[in-house]
Amino acid sequence: MKKVKEFFRYENAGLLFILPAFLYMLVFVGYPILSNLILSFQDVSVKNLVKGTKHFVGLSNYVTMFQDEVFRKAMGNTLKFTIYCLIFQFIIGFLLALLFNKNFTFAKTVRGLTMIPWMMPMTVTALMFKFMFSTDVGIINYILKSLHLIQQNVEWLTSPRTAMIAVVAANVWIGIPFNTILLATGLTTIPQELYESASVDGASSFQQLIKITLPLLRPTIESVLVLGFIYTFKVYDLVYVMTEGGPVNSTHLLSTYSYKLSFDLFQYSKGSTVANVLFLILFLVGLLYLKITMQGEDE
Amino acid sequence: MKKKLLATVLSAVMAVTMMAGCGSAASSESGVKGVARTEEAATEVANTEVAEAPAADPIPASDEASGDVTIWYYWETAGHQEALDHIIQEFNNQQDKITVQAKYVPFADFKKQLSIGASAGELPDLVILDNPDHASYAAMGIFADITDRFDVSSYYPGPVNSCTLDGRLYGVPFGSNDLVLFYNEDMLKDAGCEVPTTWDELLDVAKKTTKGNVYGFAHCALQNEEGTFNFLPWVWSTGQTSYEINSEGGIKALEFEKSLVESGAFPKEAINWTQGDTMNQFISGNLAMMINGTWQIPTMREEVPDLNWNVAPIPQDKQQASGLGGENYAVIAGGNEEAAIAFLQYATSGDTCLYMMDHMGYISSDSRIAENQFKGDAVYQVFVDEMQYANARGPLPEWPDISDAISLAFNKVITGESAPADAAAEAQATIDGILGN
Repeated sequence: MKKVKEFFRYENAGLLFILPAFLYMLVFVGYPILSNLILSFQDVSVKNLVKGTKHFVGLSNYVTMFQDEVFRKAMGNTLKFTIYCLIFQFIIGFLLALLFNKNFTFAKTVRGLTMIPWMMPMTVTALMFKFMFSTDVGIINYILKSLHLIQQNVEWLTSPRTAMIAVVAANVWIGIPFNTILLATGLTTIPQELYESASVDGASSFQQLIKITLPLLRPTIESVLVLGFIYTFKVYDLVYVMTEGGPVNSTHLLSTYSYKLSFDLFQYSKGSTVANVLFLILFLVGLLYLKITMQGEDE
Repeated sequence: MKKKLLATVLSAVMAVTMMAGCGSAASSESGVKGVARTEEAATEVANTEVAEAPAADPIPASDEASGDVTIWYYWETAGHQEALDHIIQEFNNQQDKITVQAKYVPFADFKKQLSIGASAGELPDLVILDNPDHASYAAMGIFADITDRFDVSSYYPGPVNSCTLDGRLYGVPFGSNDLVLFYNEDMLKDAGCEVPTTWDELLDVAKKTTKGNVYGFAHCALQNEEGTFNFLPWVWSTGQTSYEINSEGGIKALEFEKSLVESGAFPKEAINWTQGDTMNQFISGNLAMMINGTWQIPTMREEVPDLNWNVAPIPQDKQQASGLGGENYAVIAGGNEEAAIAFLQYATSGDTCLYMMDHMGYISSDSRIAENQFKGDAVYQVFVDEMQYANARGPLPEWPDISDAISLAFNKVITGESAPADAAAEAQATIDGILGN
């Protein structure tokens, strides 16, 4: 009895407050992850989803998937997709943030407008880019031709060599505002006095960028990159609407391939195996993010 | 202080992301509402049309059949939804024991919803599904065995075959469609061409009608079931089956596809076109010829009444061939089976079935009804005639995997990734692996 009373002392009250959230996470996040993990160790296909025994097959699904040509391609594609997107999103987003940090007229209004790509439903963006990248009537080919950069129309979405470029371009467009807004906010936290004294000492704007802006912006940059990685790595709808993983599997990501295996080909266990690989990678990146933010708080 | 500001913005950003998530959920919900609205509209139409609607046969409902019946279907065309809703209203008004309700599930989500429903034990009582998928779900065990509970003796064997697994009947054919060649009469006339009947002629006419923004010929070539459906007639026309891609005929079909693309008359973008997209290109005047199905006719007649188009059998290599498409009804095992079957009896009875078929542009799978359908309509007659050359896909529980291998093969050929022989060999290896050869 005394122990119970002790437990409900003021210091432990916090535990009670996080209990609802913890239960919610357990049911709606923990359970699906666990059941997906179990599914990936079984041999569930069209024959035994409802009836029949589901045998445990150990790691054989993982072995099969890592030997699967499309899986390896999807894995490579996902990494390529994420890295290209991050690089371009970050660079363009950073330049825009620097631009909007200058207090010119309409700076705030225009900065607000750059959020539009991010607010737009993913499917709308995907369809829009699908039209823009179409070979014969797409505006991208029209512009490139008018500028005499290309002679022949580029088969953006119908050639396995260029489809990835089109998909990356669409996702970069969506991701730029996220980078811009976070980096712009980060910039406002840097005291103006630093720049003033630096320019008194004769530092060029490039030196100011390297010596003041970048180091002071480091925590923001880290957050932006890690969160960007998480958002980009699990992109599904954009690619599904634009290419469905095609042509010839050239734009399949882990997410789209997992969906295809589970719901088009009825190979549920293999689909969940792919999903688990995706989850594991994101989980590790998530841990990294936690570590970074914790370090930040300790400083 | 700085940290706090950053943290605030970060959490704001996350909140927006979450709201964006809600936003899309809300919009998909409003999509459902939109359907509900069209259903209401359809009900109104139904009510005003009751007087002139065909009188349905009396319902042979058994005594124990009562309660609610939920149907899932995926037709997105308003006319199709209204036709289904009309017969449901009729049924509900005629008796008071059974109440039928239909729910629209988008085609892209249909298989996913069925799989999830199957594993969660939350399924409707009746589904109307794409016939190549029927065997997979029957093998899964979610469909009721209705072998002695429904009479399909007057139905065409192809469609019945698609609902049969191991000699047992797991569904009733809803209606069938097949593929033919659609051509723009004016464009062919301007190019001085006759309607092609062989592959060589098709290639020739396609080249001659290609000019400016107009491509000579296309068919949906998506890397999925839809694309496979439109590609397979080439293989069948050589006398080979869907399981013999690495054969003389299979390779010949892939090479024909390649020569079409290389001639410049076949747009590579067809690998991203659904059958609906292909039809839109045709009626917009961007295509002189296309392969497409029966169900497009009502839409085409309504959208472009002035366009001079006609249909002909698909040009052939050795023999005439077409693809058999269509939907099947399937009763869910453990659902309200009796009431679902009572509705099926009603929906497939003479005038009710005829009403559905005519409004949807389908050919009845019941030979007694099909023989009297579309009398005097020359366009539909071509489809009815083509029915006897129409091949079914499967039925095989693993058909989706076979189909995936085939569609990968012709996509590799169209995009120039593989030579026809290599693509055929690769597809065959996958197919043999699935069939256990």
